[in-house]
Amino acid sequence: MEFEGTFTIEEVSTEEVWLALSDPFLIKQCLPGCQFLTRVEDPDDVDFEALGEQEPDEDPPTLPEAAPEDISDRAFEEGGHYAALMQIGVGSVKPTFRTVVTIDEREFPAMNASGEGSATDSSFEMSSGMTLVETDGGVDIEWEAEADVFGKIAQMGQRVISPVANRVVSRFFGSVEDRLTEVAKEDDSEGLRDRVRNLL
Amino acid sequence: MTEMSVESVDPDDVDAADILGSAIERREDPALLTGDAEYTDDIQLPQMTHMAVKRSQHAHATIEGIDTSAAEAMDDVVAVYTAEDIDVPGNLPTGWLLDTLNQVDHPILADDRVRYQGDAIAVVIAEERYAAHDAVDAIDVDCERLEAVTSPREALDTAPDLHDDAPGNTAFEWEIGDAEKTSAAFESASHTASIDLENQLIIPNAMEPRAAVADYNPSTEELEVAMTTQNPHLHRLLMSGVIDHPEHKLQIRAPDVGGGFGSKIHHYADEALAAWTAKQVERPVKWVATRTETYLTDAQGRGHETHGEIAMDDDGTIVGLKVETEANLGAYLSTFAPAVPTYLYGTLLSGQYDIPAIHCEVTGAFTNVPPVDAYRGAGRPEASYVVERLIHLAAKKMEMDPAEFRRQNFVPDDAFPYETQVAVAYDSGEYEKTLDRALEMLDYEDFRERQREAREEGRYLGVGFSAYIEACGLAPSELAGQLGAQAGLWESSLVRFQPSGTVTAYCGTSGHGQGHDTTYAQIVANELGIDYEDVDVVEGDTDEIPQGMGTYGSRSAAVGGSALVKSSQKVVEKARSIAAHQLEASEADIDFENGEFHVTGAPDRSMHITEVAEQAYLAHNMPDETEPGLEATSFYDPDNFVFPFGMHAAIVEIDPDTGEIEFERYVAVDDVGNQINPKIVEGQIHGGVAQGIGQALYEAAEYDENGQLLTGSMQDYAVPKAEHIPEMETDSTVTPSPHNPLGVKGVGEAGTIAAPQAVVNAVVDALEPFGVDHIDMPLKDEKVWRAIHENGGEN
Repeated sequence: MEFEGTFTIEEVSTEEVWLALSDPFLIKQCLPGCQFLTRVEDPDDVDFEALGEQEPDEDPPTLPEAAPEDISDRAFEEGGHYAALMQIGVGSVKPTFRTVVTIDEREFPAMNASGEGSATDSSFEMSSGMTLVETDGGVDIEWEAEADVFGKIAQMGQRVISPVANRVVSRFFGSVEDRLTEVAKEDDSEGLRDRVRNLL
Repeated sequence: MTEMSVESVDPDDVDAADILGSAIERREDPALLTGDAEYTDDIQLPQMTHMAVKRSQHAHATIEGIDTSAAEAMDDVVAVYTAEDIDVPGNLPTGWLLDTLNQVDHPILADDRVRYQGDAIAVVIAEERYAAHDAVDAIDVDCERLEAVTSPREALDTAPDLHDDAPGNTAFEWEIGDAEKTSAAFESASHTASIDLENQLIIPNAMEPRAAVADYNPSTEELEVAMTTQNPHLHRLLMSGVIDHPEHKLQIRAPDVGGGFGSKIHHYADEALAAWTAKQVERPVKWVATRTETYLTDAQGRGHETHGEIAMDDDGTIVGLKVETEANLGAYLSTFAPAVPTYLYGTLLSGQYDIPAIHCEVTGAFTNVPPVDAYRGAGRPEASYVVERLIHLAAKKMEMDPAEFRRQNFVPDDAFPYETQVAVAYDSGEYEKTLDRALEMLDYEDFRERQREAREEGRYLGVGFSAYIEACGLAPSELAGQLGAQAGLWESSLVRFQPSGTVTAYCGTSGHGQGHDTTYAQIVANELGIDYEDVDVVEGDTDEIPQGMGTYGSRSAAVGGSALVKSSQKVVEKARSIAAHQLEASEADIDFENGEFHVTGAPDRSMHITEVAEQAYLAHNMPDETEPGLEATSFYDPDNFVFPFGMHAAIVEIDPDTGEIEFERYVAVDDVGNQINPKIVEGQIHGGVAQGIGQALYEAAEYDENGQLLTGSMQDYAVPKAEHIPEMETDSTVTPSPHNPLGVKGVGEAGTIAAPQAVVNAVVDALEPFGVDHIDMPLKDEKVWRAIHENGGEN
C-alpha cells in the first residue's frame, strides 16, 4: 500500500520544523497511541516489556519549552534504531504494534526511515520519506510511505487502512503544528531559527 | 419466477405410481426453516472444550520459534499443542495420484515453514470458545518472511520453491489427446482463433462454516466425530490414517450440513486436530471455523491461466483444438486436487462438438494460496469456459452466426455413444434440441433485429450462448483407478423393511442441501410400490450405513440413486420368493405391480409387499433356505459417467458510459436425463446459475504481492445477492442415460458450469462494435468500461 501527502504549517521555518521532527520525545508525544519511543542498539533483539518498564515517569521538556541544543543532543541519528510501542485502532480491532524503525537517511531537509511492527494477528513493514519545502507562508512537509501489511489488518484492505493512516498522520502533524505555533508565539522565532541553523 | 417455473405438489396429492418424477415438496425443509435442524455447532456435550487454531499471518515464512507459555498460563486454557507434540503421522494425504505427481508433505500443524496465510501453526483447547481464541492471540510466533507467489505462471517461471520435493513449484505435468494429430490439423486448417484467459480463483462460501465435534471414550477407544462433511466414510478412512486411529473405532457423522459446493469433500487439518486433541484431553472438543477462517482456509476453486486455440476448415467445420493450462494448486495438494485440472478438465474439452483432433497440456503449480480443489463443477466449468469462449471467437472469425456455427459442429444425434478424442465416451445426447428450444425461447431472430436497431441508437445489446457438457458420477471404479484415484467410485445402499411395513433406506452419499431425503424416498417408494411417507432416508453416518463414497460431482442420483434401486430390487426378489411360497405358486408365476405380488392370471391370490415384510420377520412360514428378515445391501458401480448437457443463453445490455451490465434475459434449457423431482432439478439449476453468474461478474479471491488475501470477508468478496441475479427462464429436454436403471444424469453442477461463458459471450457480443474480443472474469463495471475505452470508446 502506498500513502503520500503534504502537510502545510504556516508561519514557521523549515529549521523549526526540522528541529521538532528531530526530537524522539516530541514525536512520541504527538504520535497518537505511542506508548514509548526509545533508541535501541540491536534492532533484532528488543525486549519491549523491559523497555516499557524502564520508561521514566516524566519526559524532559520538549518544544516549545526545550532548548534547541538539548533537542539536538538527543535528535534522531542516521543509522540509529528506535523501538516504539504503538496502539492503533483499525476498524473493530485495536492492535498494539511492537515497532522497530531505522533512520536510513537524515540530511536537512529530508529524512528516510524504514521499519516493521508486529502485533498479535497483524504486522507491517514500511519505508517512508519526508522532505521539508519552504514556501511563501511557511513549510510544506511532503511525506510518503509504502507499507506491506499482513494478517488481520491486511484483510481489512486499503478501504479501511487508508482512512486510519490518514487520521494518524494528520493528528500527528496537527500536534506538531500546535507545538510550533506555541514556539512562534512565545519565542522570538528569528532567534530560534538562527540557533537551529547554527546547530545544523 | 416465470410461468415456466415448476409448481411443487403435496406428496399426498400424488398417486403412489406417479411418485417418481413428481415435483413434490422437499421433506427436509420444515426442519431447516424452523430451526429444528441440527448443525455441528448446535451439538453440546457435557464437559465439552473448545479448540481454536493459531494461523500464519504470512503467506510464506519460516518458523523460527513458537512461544506458547503466555497462552498456557491463561485461565480456562486446558492445553496448547504445536507440531512437536503431534505423535501420529499427522500428514494429510492426496487421494488422486498422477504419474508425474510430486507429492509433498502436508502436516496438520506446520513445523518449520508456513506456505499460505492461514496455515495452521498451533491449537489451543480451552473451557470456552472465547478463551480459546484469546489464548491463540497470546501465542507468539517468530517468523522470517519469505517471498510469496500467487500466480501459477509466476510460480513456475520465477518464484522460489515452496517445497523441496517439487522443484520449480511443479506439482505435475499432464497431457491428454494427440499432439501430433492436432498439430497436423492446425497446419492444414484454413482458419484459426485463439484466446488467453484466466479462470480466477473462487472462494466457495458455504453458508455453514466448517466445524467438528469430537468425543473420545478412553475405555472403549471409540472416537465419534460429528463434522461438516460431504463424504463421511471417506473422511473416516483418511482421518483414521492421519491420526492413527483404527477405522472401526472411528465414527464420522454428518449432522445437517449447510452447503459444501465441494469445499467439504476434502480432509483438512482442523477436523483431524479436533479428533486428535479430543484423545489427548479425554474430553469432547468442538471446533467451528470463523467466517475469516473459511475465507483463509477452505479449499478454493478454479485458478487456471490458459492459452487455447481452435482450427476450422473453409466451411467452418472444426478440425482441431489445443489448450495449454497452468493450474493453481495452492500451497499443498488437497484431497482430490490433482484430478480436478486434469481428468475432470481435459476430458471435457470436446464440449458438444465433433472435434477430430484435440490436445491439452496442463502444468500444476504450487503457490502461496490455500490448497485449490473441487468447487461446484470442478474442472468441467473451466473446460466448458475455454471451449465456449473459443467457439464464440471461431464463429466470429468465420463470420457465422454463433448458434449456427455450433449447430454445424455438434456431435450428431446418431453418433452416440460418441468417443471423443479426449478419452471419454458420451452416453447420450440430442444437442440440437436444447439449442432449438433456447433459440425459440429467446426469439432469436427478433433479438438480432433489435440488437441492430439498438446499436443505431447507441445502445449495446448482446447475446451469449453456452452449449455445455458435463460428466457426472465419475465411474467405473476400475477406470478411476487407472486414472489415479485412490478410492473406488461406486456407491452402497441398504434398504430395510421394518415388520410393520415401513422402510428405512440407507445410502452412502451424504446430502447437504440437495434434497436426498425427498428424492431417495421417491425412488425407493416407486421401486417397492409403497407409500412415499413410509420410506425414511438415512445418510451421513458411518455407524449406520454400510459404506459410502459421498456426495460430489453430481453423482448422488446417478450412482447413489441407482444403488438404492439395486437394493430395492433385491428386496423385491426376496419378497417375491416369500410371497410365492405363501401363495403356493412358483416364483416365475408371481407378478409384482404397485407393491402387490399376485399369481399370474389370478389377481385374487395376492399379497402386498408390506404383508410379506411382516411374514419375513415373523418367519413362521418361510421357504426352505430363506433367512428371516427383509432387507438388502448393494454396491453399485456404474459402467460409465453420465453426460448431462444443455444450452444456456444470456441477453445483456451494456452502458458504455459506466460499463454496467444489465440482464435482459437468462434462458436455461437443460437435459439432465430423467428427472426424479423437477422442482429440485429447477432449484439446482437456479442455484448453480447464481453461482456461475457470481463467478462471471463479481467473485474473485484476490491477493496482494505478498500473498495476503484482499477479499477476506463478505464485505470485500461479492457473493451475489438476489438483486444481482436475473430472472431465469428454465426449461428442459429429457434424454435418458442408457446405462443406469433410473436413466438419470446429474444436475448439481450444471448451472455453475453453464453460466459463466453465457454471460461473458453476451458481454463480448454486446461490445463487438468496440472491437472487444475478451474480458477476463469477473466482469466488473470498471473492467468493462476500460475494455470499451481502451479500444477508443467509439465504434
